[in-house]
Amino acid sequence: MLIGVKKEQEIAAQLSTGKGKGQSYWSVVRQQFRKNRMAVWALRLLYVLLFVALTGDFIANEKPLYCKLEGETHFPVFRSYLVGVGLADWEAKFFQTPWHEHDYETAVWPPVPFSASTLDISNANYAAPGAVRKVGDYAFTHWLGTDELGRDVLAGLISGTRIAMLVGIVAMAIATLIGGILGALGGYFGDERFKLSRARLWLNLLWLPLAYFYGFGSRSFSLQEGPLFTELLISLGIILGLFALLNAIGSLLKRVPALGKEVRIPLDLIVMRLIEIFNSIPALLLILSIVAIIEEKSIFYIMAIIGLIRWTGIARFMRAELLRVRSLEYIEAAQALGYSEWRTLFRHAMPNALTPVLITIAFGIASAILLEAFLSFLGIGVPPDEVTWGSMLNGSRSKASAWWLAVFPGFAIFLTVTIFNLLGEGLTDALDPRRKQ
Amino acid sequence: MLRYLIKRILIFIPTLLVISLLAFGLSKLAPGDPVELINRGGSLGGVEQSLPDADRIYQETAERLGLNKPSFYLALSSVAYPDTLYRFLRRDQRENLSKLTAQYGNWPAIEAYYHRIRQIDLALDSLKERPTAIRNVRPQLKLLYLSYRDQRINSLIDQVGAGIAADSVLQTQLGPAAARLRSDYETIKEKATPALLYIPDIKWYGLDNQYHQWLSAFLSLDFGRSYIDGRPVADKMADALRWTIVINLAAIFVAYLVAIPLGVFSAIWKDSAFDRSSTLILFILYSLPNFWIATMLVVFFTTPEYGMDWFPSLGVGNMPADAPFWQRLLDAAEHLILPIFCLTYGALAFISRQVRGGMLNVIRQDYIRTAWAKGLDARQVIWKHAFTNALFPIITMFATLFPAVFAGSVVIEYIFNIPGMGGLTVGAIFQRDWPVVYTILMLAAVLTMAGILIADLLYALVDPRVSYNNSNKP
Repeated sequence: MLIGVKKEQEIAAQLSTGKGKGQSYWSVVRQQFRKNRMAVWALRLLYVLLFVALTGDFIANEKPLYCKLEGETHFPVFRSYLVGVGLADWEAKFFQTPWHEHDYETAVWPPVPFSASTLDISNANYAAPGAVRKVGDYAFTHWLGTDELGRDVLAGLISGTRIAMLVGIVAMAIATLIGGILGALGGYFGDERFKLSRARLWLNLLWLPLAYFYGFGSRSFSLQEGPLFTELLISLGIILGLFALLNAIGSLLKRVPALGKEVRIPLDLIVMRLIEIFNSIPALLLILSIVAIIEEKSIFYIMAIIGLIRWTGIARFMRAELLRVRSLEYIEAAQALGYSEWRTLFRHAMPNALTPVLITIAFGIASAILLEAFLSFLGIGVPPDEVTWGSMLNGSRSKASAWWLAVFPGFAIFLTVTIFNLLGEGLTDALDPRRKQ
Repeated sequence: MLRYLIKRILIFIPTLLVISLLAFGLSKLAPGDPVELINRGGSLGGVEQSLPDADRIYQETAERLGLNKPSFYLALSSVAYPDTLYRFLRRDQRENLSKLTAQYGNWPAIEAYYHRIRQIDLALDSLKERPTAIRNVRPQLKLLYLSYRDQRINSLIDQVGAGIAADSVLQTQLGPAAARLRSDYETIKEKATPALLYIPDIKWYGLDNQYHQWLSAFLSLDFGRSYIDGRPVADKMADALRWTIVINLAAIFVAYLVAIPLGVFSAIWKDSAFDRSSTLILFILYSLPNFWIATMLVVFFTTPEYGMDWFPSLGVGNMPADAPFWQRLLDAAEHLILPIFCLTYGALAFISRQVRGGMLNVIRQDYIRTAWAKGLDARQVIWKHAFTNALFPIITMFATLFPAVFAGSVVIEYIFNIPGMGGLTVGAIFQRDWPVVYTILMLAAVLTMAGILIADLLYALVDPRVSYNNSNKP
């Protein structure tokens, strides 16, 4: 449609000026996006948030950035990374005495000299914003107050930024993977174009129970007792190996005429039904009940669950986009060149359909962050010692006079959600072909 | 149209099946033993019972809950497992047996070992005259029921043997059994057949299973009884639904009441200061997380801390039922204003955006220009010609809005401590009260699907251009 016209104009312009890169699709989108001032500001704020999420350890930390102690120089914050990967160890004195209580000769502290989990005993029980650790020691001020255990709210906000960003991005990455692939299959192949020989169809159906049985059923003991990650990898290997084996057998059996007959698989129908089913699941209730029964609390389960449930929007967009793209000439050209269906789909069709999916991803990140905040607010899903925006907000419910616990974490959630919503709006406008001038 | 309707309703079936399987699977994966949950709640809690008595009580409760049946129509497992594992009623013991089987793969030896533990347990139970000696042995024996790691079992068997040997009466009565316990365990390890674990086997249990029982009861609208207080789930839900429906209907009503004029006027005066500021405010409202706003309202307006204690604190008030109607209404309204506000503002922003969009589409059309050209006055053009046509998406939105607001009210009810569906749901999930959770999940799914279906049908009804007949497809 208009995009086609645009492309033609572009090509004409390129031919006449000999200048190719100037008016690419992306530069048009960027131009449109820049017209929306709110969205541009949202993008700038997003950069700030990402910066805080990445460098949070240097902004809020109970360890000094640099210190001189008993004649030795230390860089504790940097060192904690080495300790984290197991390349270094702490001296005993750092274990025995809290970081704040050494007699440093010189020390450079991060702007917020507390970690999210630092318990400042002298400021336990909800110290108001501005409280200092010791009288007169203004370098150690709790700018946004503390919570019941004496944890600094500002440090909590900073470490919460990382968790929120991680939840939003990882959950949506999972959702994009599932939704993108399913939507692409449905949209590209439709109900007609995906064919399988009978032998391979049956063997692939057989693969599902076999994969479950050999991947998990038979190995249940090793999965429970061994190192989980390695054992899961072995299971995955078994499952993929079975898949390859069965399909190899399938291609052999295909030679038999009765088994080689091709069957049409209505992929689009299957994908659409799946989307419908997932859309009717009351997601909030389901997530609540899944999270409530997991005994070992971890933020990663929440990401995975949100990703596994919230892929339908992306699948829909992807499908619609591929329905459009698959009839474009360059796809026909790819097919005419004899590229395989899979190569055409993943190398040529899908990359061109990804841009509009960005809109759904932006909104999806907002809702994933909101959902995680709500789950932590209820106090389920995240380990109790993990400080997130939601869990800090929940702290205000037990002490009404601690207004700083109600205001600041909630505002952080609101700001982040708004940023992603604004980005989504901006992208919608920028990608809308009707607005292109 | 009818065919379309039937087709859509047919899709309900697989969706509901998937959700029922999810809910059921979750309840089976969830840790904890519902029988223990119920028995603990009963009067038998603290009393010391003899083993056969305890077993009988356990069995009765399990039978009442239908837990003495296999869980599903069939099970895919290996030939190493017996198909009667479900008959071991105690969940923790059953799971331990299953772990042992997953480790060694020879069920007959494991079963013999289990019965040996039980034999000693029963014998200890009947030996009343040596309480101290028994107190030394019994805890270790109980732990054997739940141990599957080699090292742990060995040390427990040693301790049991030593405890029995320490007392002469026990030694004469149970010494041989203790020795055989060790040899039974050694047999498991020596004659292990882990290869059996790799031979798949489908175990068919037929219709007499827990899932079938629950689903057929559900379909005949028997939702079972709560694990926690034994009340019928339907009663609990009826009580809770009253509050939820009241606040949701009020919230949606207020939202429409405010949103429609707001949307219409900002569409008419597009790009005016009014339009731009209302768009911005609505956008901010839409992004405000309602659990934040609710928490802030609770903190600032229901406590005396900040001198703004304008609303009664959480809950719905407890006016006696014989108080005058108006007084009760006033009391309930006082309690419900804040929750309804929290539910309203998000929906308001959403509806108003939709109204504005719908109006903008209509205003551009030719017949509106004609109406202006005819010289009709503004009120007629806007409300009669334009608005009635922009109304369709607004009506249909109601159907999709209701489930959404319903889910949103989970949050609000939890925060404001309203005994509605939200409070019931969160409570049931926390306490693993599965009959309640099942029912709510299924009903919420039905509600969502019905909402989408009604929206589609309404859309076809109000807009003759929409047709769901296949023949009209290009």
